[in-house]
Amino acid sequence: MDTVSKTSTLAACLQVFRLSLRRQFFTRQTIVMLVLLGLAVLITYLWSLPKQWHPDPRTSAELARQIVLPLYMGFLLPVICLGYASAAIADERTGETLVYLLTTNIPRPLVYLSKYAAALLLTLGMTLGGLAVLCLMSGKIGLEALGVFWTVTACATTAYVGLFLLFSAWVRRATFLALAYALMIETLTGNIPGVVKRITVSFYAKSWLYESGETLDLAPSGVALGLFDPVSAATAQSVLALASVGFLALGIWVFSRKEYD
Amino acid sequence: MDTAIRVEGLVKRYGSFTAVDQVSFTVNRGEIFGILGPNGAGKTTLLRLLTGQITPSLGGIDVCGRDAWSARAKDHIGLCPFGDATWDELSGRKLMRVTAGLRGFTGAEARRRAESVLETVGMAKRADRPVRTYSKGMRQRIKLGQALVHDPDLLVLDEPLNGVDPVGCEELNDLFRTLAAKGKAVLVSSHILHEMDQLADRILFICRGKLLASGSLAEIRDMLDDHPLKVRISCGSPRRIAPQLLTLESVKSVSIEPPCDLLLEVQNPGRFYAEFGEFAAGNDAQVQRLKATDTSTEAVFDYLMERAARPE
Repeated sequence: MDTVSKTSTLAACLQVFRLSLRRQFFTRQTIVMLVLLGLAVLITYLWSLPKQWHPDPRTSAELARQIVLPLYMGFLLPVICLGYASAAIADERTGETLVYLLTTNIPRPLVYLSKYAAALLLTLGMTLGGLAVLCLMSGKIGLEALGVFWTVTACATTAYVGLFLLFSAWVRRATFLALAYALMIETLTGNIPGVVKRITVSFYAKSWLYESGETLDLAPSGVALGLFDPVSAATAQSVLALASVGFLALGIWVFSRKEYD
Repeated sequence: MDTAIRVEGLVKRYGSFTAVDQVSFTVNRGEIFGILGPNGAGKTTLLRLLTGQITPSLGGIDVCGRDAWSARAKDHIGLCPFGDATWDELSGRKLMRVTAGLRGFTGAEARRRAESVLETVGMAKRADRPVRTYSKGMRQRIKLGQALVHDPDLLVLDEPLNGVDPVGCEELNDLFRTLAAKGKAVLVSSHILHEMDQLADRILFICRGKLLASGSLAEIRDMLDDHPLKVRISCGSPRRIAPQLLTLESVKSVSIEPPCDLLLEVQNPGRFYAEFGEFAAGNDAQVQRLKATDTSTEAVFDYLMERAARPE
């Protein structure tokens, strides 16, 4: 049989994509993500109920400032990205199934791109879907917040997936490294004054939100704004796009050269 | 003969540790080639080099005319890796279709190949169960199917009979022989020495990353001049010729095994056979049968390992 003439590299890549998507979706990660999203929805519901100390209906700005920005952008978004992207290759390594992908005739960069596409699609589905559920369950006030947040969420997800998939290609215990990164770099460094926080994805996502979400009054005021020292939305968009491409290129380079055990 | 793998001066280093050290050999189409060695000998590293999972520090590997690391070389390779791991949440049938898909086959062709290979490895009737419910032997068969689904020229099998029952082993050995007869190169790594005896046309012995010997068992045996060989001779008058045999330079010891056998330990097989021919012709030895009793892979392997362990 002539194996060369009857095969298609594109079909093989699509198979890697479908297999990865299926294997990643039917995992414990998905259950954990859905539980976390459920908790976030519950918190949002309780928050939106009229209370003695807050009898007035909630506004879009309040939803954005008190729920979506801290709870979703600050916690759920990186956790969802981390859960899927850091496991995409690392799980194949620990499960000893990566060998089947590395010994096919698909060039390694294309294997990586297929895994990336699957992880990105799944993560975008979860982050954008989660954001939509969170906003829409708050009624009309959520629509305005959703309109501001979805583009930033999509771009931040793309950057995070690129970074965490790079970790996955690089080290066996990628989830631990990604968790350490999320806690130490994104959370701690991202909240200290000065320019160090400019190495975090969240800084550019927030900078973009502060400018595009002026109607929601998202930006801190006074000294806090000075300490945060945001960049313009255009700069933030450029940095996030470049970072996404850079992480992807670096991931391809690492995966193509690395000798997996 | 058409060469499937050509390995020349292969070296693989991890820092100061040399896992594979100056190994050279060729594997031809249509032959079954065995790789033998103790744990940590470098067998798995060698297989990973041959299947393009890792790159050599020095030397080259040519698989069907292409560099082993290249994607095109992998068109020609089917690997059945060591261990049980595969995508075991899938059914055997789905796994085979997915594997065909990963080789670039689509639709009806992928299904046809999956069914054909399931039949070949004897799993067609059990292919709808999830792989995680399979026994070890069934997993080995499914993994073998994964290696065969694209009809490769070179089949690389890392301990393929591990966990397979004796009847299954015989069936798989027959399959390997059939594949070799169809012109495929079959490279088998195993620690089950007596199976290699039966299966492999040529064997490569490896220890501490170094090639100790390679060739057919008989060739290897002939290379080992200082390897003591046990020979059983059935003759008419063993008590008469036993003292005379001790005068031959190649004979180290002789014992009589009643009623009419002699058990000889000889030092240099080639020389012994020459000396014994002359002896038998000149001494009316009435030899009825002469048989070397320890030419098995195991005996050669034990000897090679022992020799490798000696200080240089």
